Amino acid sequence: MPHRLPPLLERVGRAAVGGVAELGFAASLLGQSLYWLALGRARGQPVRLAPIFAQGMDIGIAALPIITVLAATIGLMLAIQGIYTLKTFGAESRVTLGVALSTVREFSPLITGILVAGRSGSALAARLGTMRINQEIDALTVMGIAPVRFLVVPPLVAMAVLMPLLTLWADLVSLAAAGLYIAAELQTGFAAYADEVLSLLKLNDLMHGLAKSAIFAVLVTIVGVVNGASVSGGAEGVGRMTTRSVVQAISAIVVTDMIFVFMVTR
Amino acid sequence: MNQPPIVVENLNTHYGDRHILKNVSLAVEPGEIFIIMGGSGSGKTTLLNHLLGLLVPTSGTIRILGQDIHAIPALERRKLRTRMGVAFQSGALFSSMSVGDNIALPLREHSNLDETTIGIVTRLKLEVVSLAGFESLMPSELSGGMIKRAALARAIVMDPRLLFCDEPSAGLDPVVASSIDDLILRLRDAMGMSIVVVTHDLESAFKIADRICVLDRGEVLALDTVDAIRRSDNERIQNLLNRRTEEAEIDPDAYLRRLMGEKERSSRFGPDARKGL
Amino acid sequence: MTVDIREQGGSVVVGLEGEIDLQHSPAVRKALMDLMFERRDVVVEMSGVAYIDSSGVASLVEAYQMARRNGSRFVLAAVSAPALRVLQLARLDKVFALAATVEAGLRG
Repeated sequence: MPHRLPPLLERVGRAAVGGVAELGFAASLLGQSLYWLALGRARGQPVRLAPIFAQGMDIGIAALPIITVLAATIGLMLAIQGIYTLKTFGAESRVTLGVALSTVREFSPLITGILVAGRSGSALAARLGTMRINQEIDALTVMGIAPVRFLVVPPLVAMAVLMPLLTLWADLVSLAAAGLYIAAELQTGFAAYADEVLSLLKLNDLMHGLAKSAIFAVLVTIVGVVNGASVSGGAEGVGRMTTRSVVQAISAIVVTDMIFVFMVTR
Repeated sequence: MNQPPIVVENLNTHYGDRHILKNVSLAVEPGEIFIIMGGSGSGKTTLLNHLLGLLVPTSGTIRILGQDIHAIPALERRKLRTRMGVAFQSGALFSSMSVGDNIALPLREHSNLDETTIGIVTRLKLEVVSLAGFESLMPSELSGGMIKRAALARAIVMDPRLLFCDEPSAGLDPVVASSIDDLILRLRDAMGMSIVVVTHDLESAFKIADRICVLDRGEVLALDTVDAIRRSDNERIQNLLNRRTEEAEIDPDAYLRRLMGEKERSSRFGPDARKGL
Repeated sequence: MTVDIREQGGSVVVGLEGEIDLQHSPAVRKALMDLMFERRDVVVEMSGVAYIDSSGVASLVEAYQMARRNGSRFVLAAVSAPALRVLQLARLDKVFALAATVEAGLRG
C-alpha cells in the first residue's frame, strides 16, 4: 500500500468491514435455514424431527429449574420495589398493574432470552467451533450433507418453539411469586390478586412478550452459529468465540428489545 | 467409466497475497492409486481441499468424475459427493455420535435402505477395516490408529468410485501404518475405486502408489510412476527421497547473535545477573 | 438390474443380473426375504452380476441368516468375479455356502 492510512482509521475501517461481513453471513445463514426448512424434503435432505427434539430437551426442559428460580426472584423483586415506590403516593394498591405489565411485556422475555443465550447459545457456539477445528464440518460437506440443514436448522427450530414456551412459564411463575408477596403485604388475598391480573392483562400484552422471545430465539441461535463457525486457532479460539457469542447475544437481545418496544408502542 | 475420474487443468490458487498452487495440472486414471507427495508447505493439503471442492481456485478447472465441481449447481455437487469418500487426517469423526452412527450417517442421509441393511453394511465396513465390535464406542474412546480406520470405514460406506485419504499413516506406529497401506491396496483391488492419497511418508508412498505426484512450493515437480520417481536425477526430488534438508548458508556472526538474543536480555541473564543471586 | 425367480427341482432359483446398487438392493432384499418367510430352499444365481455394492451384500447376509434360523438352504451359485471380490473383501466367501454352478447348488 503506497498511501498508508492512519492506523486508527484503518482499524475502524477493518472492524466495520468485518462487522458487515458477519451481518451478511448471519443473514445468509437465516436464509439458508428457511430454505432447508421449506425445500429440504424436495431436495432429498429433509430436516429431521429427532435432532430437533433432542435440542429441544436440552434448550427447554433442562433450563426449566433455573428459569423457575430466576422468574420467581424477579417477580418478588418487582413486587417489593413496586410497593416501596408507590407508597410514596399512597398508591400501593395499584402495584399489580405495574408488576403484571412489566413482567409479561419485559422481564420474562428478557430474563429467559439472557438465560438461554448463556446456556444454549454458548453451547452451540462451542459445539460448532469444536466441530470446525476437528474438520467435522468439512466432513459433512464432502459427504454431500448440507451443514446448515444438519447443524443449524434443528437448534433454530427448537429454540424458536421453546423460547416462547419458556417465556410463558416464566410469566406464570413470576406473576405467582409477585402475587404471594403482594397478597401478604397488602392483605388482599391471592385470589383477588389473580382476578386483578386477569382483568388487567390483555392478550396483546402477552403476545408482545412472546413475539419478542421468538425474535430473541433466532438472535441467540444465529449469533451462536456465526461465532462457532468463525472459530480459528484451536481450543483457545473456541473459548474466545464462545465468550464473544454470549456477550453479542445478550447485547443483541437488549438492543432488539428496545427497538421492538419503540416500534410497537408508539 | 474409462474417463479419468479426476482432471485438474492449470490450477492457480492464492491465500491472501500468497500464490499457493502454481499452474497445477494432473489427471488420475481409473482404478489407480495416485499419491500426492511433498513436504510441509508444498501445497499438498491445499490441493486436496481443492479436489474436494472445499476451496474455490483463482483460476483453472477441476473435473471430478466428469463434472466441473465448481460449475455445477449445488444440488448436483451434493449428488456428486455421494460418489466420493474422504478420510481426513484427523479422522473428523463426529464426536457426538458413536462409531457405528458415524459410519451409518451417509447411508441414513442419502439412501432409503432398511435400518437392518444399514446396520449390516456398517458392521461389514467395520469388519473390512478390522474394527469389528467397536460400533457402539464413542470416537473419544478410540486410539489414533482406530480413528483412522473408522474414518476409512465411513469414507467407503457408500462404495464410492473415488476415495481420498489425507495422511493415512501420519502419527501411527510403523506396524499400524503398514496395515493401513495394505487396507488401501485391498480396497482398490476389491472395489476398483480410484484412490488419491496425500502423504509425506515415502515408504508408504512407494509401497502403494501406481503414480506419484511430487509437489514442491506449489508446483508439480514430477508426476510419474514409482520407478521413474526413484530413478529421477532431479536434485530436489533426491533431497526429498533421501530426507536431506536443504541447508541454507550460515552466517556465523548472525547465528551467534540470534542465539544470544538481544543485548539487554543477555546481560540480565548473563554472568552479571548471576552475581546478584 | 433384473431379479428372475423360477422353480427348479423343489427349490427356488433366484437369478440376479446387472448392477446391484443402493437403488436396486431393496428390491433384491424384498424378493429374498419373501422367499425366506415361505421357508423355501433358495439358490441365488450370480453369474450375471456385474457389480454388487455393500447394500446388496447386506441383503444377501440378512437372507442367509434367516435361512439358517429356519433350517432352509441358501446357496450362492456361479458367483461372478466382481461379486466374489466384494465378498472376499469382507471375508464373506468363508461364510456363505458357495456353489460353482446352479446345478451343484441344487444338489447341495
